Amino acid sequence: MQNFQQNLKALEAADTQVLGVSMDSPFANKAFADQIGVTFPLLSDWGGKVTREYGIYKDEYQAPRRVNFLIGKDGKIMEEQVDRDAIDPKKIVDACQRPKMKS
Amino acid sequence: MYRRRSVVLAALLLAGLFTSAPLFAQGNKEGSGMPKVGDVAPDFTLKYFDGSDEKEVKLSDYRGKKNVVLAFYIFAFTGG
Repeated sequence: MQNFQQNLKALEAADTQVLGVSMDSPFANKAFADQIGVTFPLLSDWGGKVTREYGIYKDEYQAPRRVNFLIGKDGKIMEEQVDRDAIDPKKIVDACQRPKMKS
Repeated sequence: MYRRRSVVLAALLLAGLFTSAPLFAQGNKEGSGMPKVGDVAPDFTLKYFDGSDEKEVKLSDYRGKKNVVLAFYIFAFTGG
């Protein structure tokens, strides 16, 4: 999450809203956000409904996998990063800055 | 005698192959439930706590206005 925070200005400049999602409670997520200095919302998928809809619930963790989705203004998915690849947001930041994403 | 044994062995191996195939398929399935690039992202409404109130975020509210990065993470208070 800190990786996105560090790139937040670039993402916001490219008209992009960052939303963290986990299955923690809203209050745990807020405490987590404060602890690591994240200013974008960390959403609570309590119960995991959305996590399952996105096909990334992992039984082993009883939690989501680490996945980033970049969703364009048309509501369609532009990029996906899964597990280890999801830790470096550079690809997402670059994609946001492509001209077509700004329109 | 040996030939017979090898036939039985081959049959067993084949049977093993067929019964384990679905297991492999299941292994590959992980992630196959994910929406693909180009798909419309499933809409949702989720809550977060901004320090004083619980607020709701609806994904489709950003439609036509902003790109959205959805960053799923495993647990609060862990790295990544």
